[in-house]
Amino acid sequence: MSPEELESALRTLLAERYHDHHPFNLRMHEGRLSPEEIRTWVRNRYYYQTRIPIKDGIILAKAESPEFRREWLHRIRDHDGDGPGDGGLELWLSLAEAVGLDRSEVERLTLVLPGVRAACDDYVKLVESSDLLTSVAASLTEMSAGEIMRERLAAFERHYPWVGEEGLRYFRSRTVQAPRDAAHGLHFVLAHARSDEDQRRCIAALERKCEILWRLLDAIEAAHARPRLAPGARLRVDPAGTGDLVVMAERAIRLSPSGREIVELCDGTRSVEAIASLLRERHPDAEGIEDDVHEFVAGLRRVRALEAA
Amino acid sequence: MSAPRPWNLVAELTYRCPLRCVYCSNPLDFARVSDALDAPAWCDVFEQAAGLGVVHVGLTGGEPSARRDLEEIVAGAARAELHAHLVTAGTPLSERRLEALAAAGLRSVQLSFQDVDRDASDRIAGRSFFEQKLDCARAVRRLGLPLTLNVVLHRHNLSRVREIIALARALDADRIELANVQLHGFALRNAEALLPSRAELDAASETVRDETLRSARPEILFVLPDWYRDRPKPCMGGLGARTLVIDPSGRVLPCHAAASLPGLEFWNVAHRSLREAWEDSPGMNAFRGEEWMQPPCRSCPERFRDQGGCRCQAFALTGDAAATDPACSLSPHHEVVLRAREGAERAHAVALRYRDATPG
Repeated sequence: MSPEELESALRTLLAERYHDHHPFNLRMHEGRLSPEEIRTWVRNRYYYQTRIPIKDGIILAKAESPEFRREWLHRIRDHDGDGPGDGGLELWLSLAEAVGLDRSEVERLTLVLPGVRAACDDYVKLVESSDLLTSVAASLTEMSAGEIMRERLAAFERHYPWVGEEGLRYFRSRTVQAPRDAAHGLHFVLAHARSDEDQRRCIAALERKCEILWRLLDAIEAAHARPRLAPGARLRVDPAGTGDLVVMAERAIRLSPSGREIVELCDGTRSVEAIASLLRERHPDAEGIEDDVHEFVAGLRRVRALEAA
Repeated sequence: MSAPRPWNLVAELTYRCPLRCVYCSNPLDFARVSDALDAPAWCDVFEQAAGLGVVHVGLTGGEPSARRDLEEIVAGAARAELHAHLVTAGTPLSERRLEALAAAGLRSVQLSFQDVDRDASDRIAGRSFFEQKLDCARAVRRLGLPLTLNVVLHRHNLSRVREIIALARALDADRIELANVQLHGFALRNAEALLPSRAELDAASETVRDETLRSARPEILFVLPDWYRDRPKPCMGGLGARTLVIDPSGRVLPCHAAASLPGLEFWNVAHRSLREAWEDSPGMNAFRGEEWMQPPCRSCPERFRDQGGCRCQAFALTGDAAATDPACSLSPHHEVVLRAREGAERAHAVALRYRDATPG
């Protein structure tokens, strides 16, 4: 491929696979998210934000050229600022406060959903295990970030007036930074991905990154689904044991006592988030109970014992 | 050895069936097996099964809806708190009959399809029922029952796997089982006509992967046939380990084809309790554990995973039910499988032989 053809292949990939098409993002921009959903998104997306300067540090460590490093260093400074109270992470925390979250809870990362954590950690791992060229290629989702930030800014001003103007400064800053970063990254990839094999690897890396962003929103969306037993699935006492079972077409699943407690709350009216906080109230000392609830429900949804109401 | 807990009961209510599928898995002498258990007898069996720990019953055959007392049998399963799952060819099964079955406590349905159009289906089933199957699928979904489609794959329909999945999607099936043809029973008589080539199988796997990514519905089950995997399948999760089968005469078996194995004594629910037949009958115990295994299985580190493979296939291909399944590349008889694979690579037209009452 010529550099122009490679650029067009990368743009086509983004047009098809970037998370602006994700149902959760569509609902956000259409003004159809509840305040609880907005809060879950802000809290969890903060984990992604914290991974970005770490990821950029790893990329820096792969670069031989002072010129490249000077340019890339901007990104870390954009996120971390020049001092306390400055930078993109700080702006995100103002957004967290503006949507009604407790800043220190968000900073501690204790309520990050396991699926979100896994997706973001996969991004860092992807960059760790890639060479400089493909790491930069993975960052090219930024080519679409300027546009999504502009839409998001407009959507928040229009549909979520309860989020104060103070909270929107992150989106505003990114509408400028993302296109600048993307231009540099794209220039680098087009200049260095010359062989068919390198070009193929760059496209694959960007595809992986799109998948990661998509999974992140999947996990957030799943947290607000209201699970209930799938048609044909029933909760019953195990006739030959002391425990409980979910019995359904082709499958029977053995439940632990805490599994039963969760399944009983899956009545189609409560979100997984709500079930997790209810169980937190019942068991204030149980370590990691929120994660357990999200992972358990995700597992039962995978085997279709539970469905979203 | 002590018997494990059974989870699943396969209730073969009758071997009667209006279809004559070329790969029918009923025993070749099915016509000699009469429907010996009436509805109260089945209901009693269900109560006993629940007492052993069974939670599922698959009502199958033959064609289970050929029994007029199916409603009563379903009601018995529901009373015993078993998940009643109907495995049907979709005929003779009207919407009114399905409604009655649902009212009696039927919980889910598996419906077989042979192919995606009438002519191709008729060629495999030997009769014309394609439209009735479509009606049946729609009626099942109208009643809100979970629906699984089951399609046996072979060289005559493997290239239409995408259309088969599309049909399942169009019928709003929850799940589709794409079952690569197993070579015993009637299918073994048609082995040469049915076995697909490696290239056909690979293309189908690729399509299945594609379709799985495209949409979460239906759930797609596709397993490469053991003939192409060089390792045998863990048949039934181990014989006599999780599933018990009761044939129309009331015999308690570890798998639906086990009655074809020579020299094994199985007990009948007419004469023994289900617990005795499951725990103590010589036939049921013949292949539990690993004492029965021969080399190379006996010392193989993989024996816990595959339990030596399928006993019925081992018997059909080697004459010895305790031999290593020839699907395994370590089997001294693996040559049989390699020859069959080579045969499948050659294009050829072989006439299909339908299920009939007098097998030759």
